[in-house]
Amino acid sequence: MDPLAASMKISGSGLETQSTRLRIVSENIANARSTGDTPGADPYRRKTITFGSELDKATGGTLATVKKFGVDRSKYTEEYDPGNPAADEKGIVKMPNVNMLVEMADMREANRSYEANLQTIKQTRELIAATLDLLKASQ
Amino acid sequence: MQPIQLFDLASRQASWLSVRQQVVSTNIANANTPKYMAKDVTPFNAVLDSTPVRMARTNPGHMTDSSQLSDEVDVVKAKLDQEIGVQESGNSVGIVEEMSKTGEIKRQYELNAALVESFHRMMLMTLKK
Repeated sequence: MDPLAASMKISGSGLETQSTRLRIVSENIANARSTGDTPGADPYRRKTITFGSELDKATGGTLATVKKFGVDRSKYTEEYDPGNPAADEKGIVKMPNVNMLVEMADMREANRSYEANLQTIKQTRELIAATLDLLKASQ
Repeated sequence: MQPIQLFDLASRQASWLSVRQQVVSTNIANANTPKYMAKDVTPFNAVLDSTPVRMARTNPGHMTDSSQLSDEVDVVKAKLDQEIGVQESGNSVGIVEEMSKTGEIKRQYELNAALVESFHRMMLMTLKK
């Protein structure tokens, strides 16, 4: 396969993995205050994503893929809120183990990587255009 | 004098540049992949000097070696000379370096295309009256 077409596909795989990562970040942020609904129940657990690389047989290139979705096993934070339906007999509510700062940093990084992939696609397109312009000029 | 060789040289450089572009986009796509080590291609003059022996692909079912994206360009592990070094995750891609590489590739490719175009024009000049 033509290397330029292959690099379009590879950058596309990068875009896909980064947008999946962004989806996980937004799930975490959206559920940052999702408690359970019975007394003492576990709240939302933070999700994680792991990337891997995979040899694509059609192009011979190495694509970026999502290898695994996981959960963050760290401890829940606890808050005192006796009125909450999820509060146990002492009035303690378990809150999700989502740290906004970590999620924001992750979001920024995903954003930057997405932009880098987008930029590569643009560059590749310009290389293809330069080749095609040879045809235009030589009539 | 064999001016026709310029076309051969130009097309070899163009194919080297496009393989390099593929390698750079692989690096950028895998910038967040754990344990991924950045790759690069051998320099163009090394490609010109050497004519390595390769295994022929006589059947489309034959697997290509990942270090052999094209017939004459070798893909090697990039030198660990980047400022970012190896990150905690075992990844060694420096986005900044890769972006500057794509810029360089684009510049060289455009120069290459412009040279081919002007050489082609020169050839046409001798044909037209």
